[in-house]
Amino acid sequence: MKKIGLFVLIVAISFSLFAQGGAEEKQEEIRVLLANHPYGELLKEAIPEFEAETGIKVNVESLQESQLTQKLTTEFATGSSTVDVFMTRPLQEGLLFTKNGWYAPLDSYDFSDYPDPAVDIGKKDGVAYIVPLVTEWQVMYYRKDLFKAAGISVPTNFEELEAAAKALNKDGIAGFGSRGKGAASVTQISSYIYNFGGRYLEDNVAVFDSPEALEGIRYYGRLLGNYGPQGVVSMSWENLMPVFQAGKLAIWTDASVFYGQVVDPSKTQIPAEDVGVAQLPRGPKEDSPFIVASWGMSMSNKSKNSDAAKQFLDWATSKELAIEAMKRNITMARDSAWLDEEVRAMMNPGLIETQAHAALNGFPFDRPFMSAVGQARDLIGEVVIESINTKGTSSKLASLAAEKTQAVNDLLKADGEYGGN
Amino acid sequence: MIKSSFFERNLKYLFPLPALIFVIALMVFPVLYTLFISFSDWTLTSGRPLVFAGLSSYMKILSEPRFLDAVGRTFYFTIGAVLAEAVLGLTIAVILNREFRGKNPLKFILLLPLVATPVAVGIVFNLFYDPTIGFLNYVLSLFGLPQSGWVTDSTSVLPSLMLVDIWQWTPMIALIVLAGLAGLSSEPYESAKVDGATPVQIFFRITLPMITPTILTAIILRAVDALKTYDIIYAMTGGGPGYSSETLNILAYKYSFEYFNLGQASSILVFLFFLVLLFSLGVMKLRKRFEM
Amino acid sequence: MKQSLRFRILFPIIVLLIIIPMLFPFLWMLMSAFKTQVDIISWPPKFIFSPTMVNFYKVFNEQNFLLYLKNSMIVGVGAVSFSLLLGLPAAYSIARFHQKKLSVMILVARLMPGISFLMPWYIVFSRLGLMDSYTALILSHILIALPVVVWIMSSYFETVPREMEESAMVDGATMQHAFVSIIIPLSVPGIVTSVTLSFIFSWNNFMFSQVLSMEKTRTLPIAVYNFMSYAEVDWGGVMAAAVAIMTPAIILTMIFQKYVVKGLTMGAVKG
Repeated sequence: MKKIGLFVLIVAISFSLFAQGGAEEKQEEIRVLLANHPYGELLKEAIPEFEAETGIKVNVESLQESQLTQKLTTEFATGSSTVDVFMTRPLQEGLLFTKNGWYAPLDSYDFSDYPDPAVDIGKKDGVAYIVPLVTEWQVMYYRKDLFKAAGISVPTNFEELEAAAKALNKDGIAGFGSRGKGAASVTQISSYIYNFGGRYLEDNVAVFDSPEALEGIRYYGRLLGNYGPQGVVSMSWENLMPVFQAGKLAIWTDASVFYGQVVDPSKTQIPAEDVGVAQLPRGPKEDSPFIVASWGMSMSNKSKNSDAAKQFLDWATSKELAIEAMKRNITMARDSAWLDEEVRAMMNPGLIETQAHAALNGFPFDRPFMSAVGQARDLIGEVVIESINTKGTSSKLASLAAEKTQAVNDLLKADGEYGGN
Repeated sequence: MIKSSFFERNLKYLFPLPALIFVIALMVFPVLYTLFISFSDWTLTSGRPLVFAGLSSYMKILSEPRFLDAVGRTFYFTIGAVLAEAVLGLTIAVILNREFRGKNPLKFILLLPLVATPVAVGIVFNLFYDPTIGFLNYVLSLFGLPQSGWVTDSTSVLPSLMLVDIWQWTPMIALIVLAGLAGLSSEPYESAKVDGATPVQIFFRITLPMITPTILTAIILRAVDALKTYDIIYAMTGGGPGYSSETLNILAYKYSFEYFNLGQASSILVFLFFLVLLFSLGVMKLRKRFEM
Repeated sequence: MKQSLRFRILFPIIVLLIIIPMLFPFLWMLMSAFKTQVDIISWPPKFIFSPTMVNFYKVFNEQNFLLYLKNSMIVGVGAVSFSLLLGLPAAYSIARFHQKKLSVMILVARLMPGISFLMPWYIVFSRLGLMDSYTALILSHILIALPVVVWIMSSYFETVPREMEESAMVDGATMQHAFVSIIIPLSVPGIVTSVTLSFIFSWNNFMFSQVLSMEKTRTLPIAVYNFMSYAEVDWGGVMAAAVAIMTPAIILTMIFQKYVVKGLTMGAVKG
């Protein structure tokens, strides 16, 4: 009998532990989903101020980006959504969410302080659904000291880049690094493909098996295969950054957002003055690195507290917070945040220059813009890995690319997005 | 009292009933639901409702090279790892099958890999395998051997993952065989000794035949678990580089929770389900054969 | 037994050859957990270094590790308790009435790949708004614990002499009463075995929590995995987290060593 008593006790305890959160006073409440992103962190810190000001209670959850997509998708798709406002990746899930009518239209939002391409990504039939938050473009981080020691200047075109990678690839230091891990590499190789004159999609038809795109993929594979760090085909930014920070990488091309961490003295063994930021060298055909609105913010169409949600959205995308974020090296989409005197004084000039260049010449996509983008990235990633593994020399690269292009087109067709509009 | 006697008369149905209901609700129903979805075309992200599509999901999966590769890898991984575990486990058990000081602490050490959290084990091995700072490449360099990419290289990734599985599960086979050896009767040994058989002869003529049922059951149990290996692979490589360590379980996960292509995911799951069921039937047959 | 000199020298060496590869990963994990990042990435690897607590500090203070620890405890204790409630009567009935079909069904539950239930659960739980809830996690973890309980306990109950309950019933007790007041107390060793093992299995489970839990109910294995996949690889922190997650299971094993061995091996060896 004693044993049974023990059971009941255990069960009772475990029940009482998870039956927490009882009645709370009636108050306007919203549920907000944020990403584990520096801007999400900043919002989380500032939310108590918003609550104090408005009296609206904000229930925040922060999730890792793929979990955020997963959670939003299933909540919306199964009709069980209770979310009001959320951070969203316009290029990853934007198309899918707008197509399914999961975003609330933002008719009354003032978009005049944002660059048009960033706003257009989140538009459908002239209605905007996403407020752009963060802008990312591709840059080249490089080690000034190593360049100086080798007596070479910062490359401005792909031939020079290859020569520099070759010259610097010695003494246990890899000459060149960029993402090699299948799906993750798709965004970073995009600028290389563009600079050779290729595209992922043209008029919603996959064309990454074009001779231009293939040339770009071969070039990327040749550089990484010959001069990349060991194991580069399983490396994304989170693996490359520590290699760069440990001083074992001379050139690293990736998104602009990492500058802050690259020079963070608590994480890096190289002094900040040895880290340079330059634009991606131009290619034989074009000079258009990707520049994308990587994060945005939206309201749910199913929100039952749309007034409070709108209030939160306005606050969370305000100019004041944007300036605050810029001071933390988060590159924001708002034009005016870049003009702020204080910000300009603090920012790395390399970031300001490369942003200006990319804003002028860049291409506003870093991946195929489609609903099944996750699957498409895996397919393209296979081609990239084949190229890296063969140092760009694979004889079956063209047929592999053609096969994967076909597969991506099948995905587009299955979602009714193929060709036309 | 009448009520109670009803209870008593039907005890044999009432006692297992709650567990039965639970298993039906959480296992049988989901499997049937998966079977149902596998005959449909349903991609959660398309926003379109589920439509009945006959065998088309199965057709698509069967013509998908990724699926066929994953099937091959799953078998390669399972057979390779379990064979090595069986040989090593049997050897260790035979060596340790005697009384000596420190046998109990040794058994405890053998238990450690078994109870260690697989995800954490995977991460620890990732540190070992790291091509630039890893311990294993250091050992290779000490002997002047060429360095390996381990899990970062598509040619060495599967053997590297198998090694982790072998490290973690060899002790299980060793412990099972040890327990089996302890239960053997001593008579055949004594008569063999009288006949003047050598230890090697004793092992192959007496021990091995008597212990075979135990070993076989252990191997099949292990094989069923190895077929389902998920934690270690997901934590260490996520199926990469590329798809080169993508087994059926990982593939099914990706189709379900990354692509939300539930129709095709379900057809992979049904395949996996029947594969495991087949092996499980093997376990049951063996148990019956040797024990009943 | 007479042992030759050669054997007496050789045997310990062979035993060491078995032990060292078993233990080395644990030792390396422990050492790395006390190293700074600089010591970890140094080449050649360092065996002698000045230990630091900074990784453990990071794990417990900067990460929400205590919350994840609590979550893992709630889910583990909840799942094991319910599994005993459901599983003990079922196991008893299987043992007493030789319900073969039932025992096969439970065995199948033990062998089936978790992912084949996970996708439907995911759909149903999100429709019911149960994602990221302890209810969903405990339900899923019962499916890990219940087969272990039934499997171990049904063989255990077979070893309990029938006369025990019969004599109680002669005294006028009902069978269910005899089960609760006589059989269960006699079966404590079996219960300890099944509780220990099923708790460890629940504790180590990755896949179910990975899909069904989010921020609020995240369990330790997911937290450890996330520790590695977010941000740069902070090896020291990850190793400290790995040490933290393995310690409870190892302590349980140390206390209940005999039972754990029995539980793990009884699948293949009768008895």
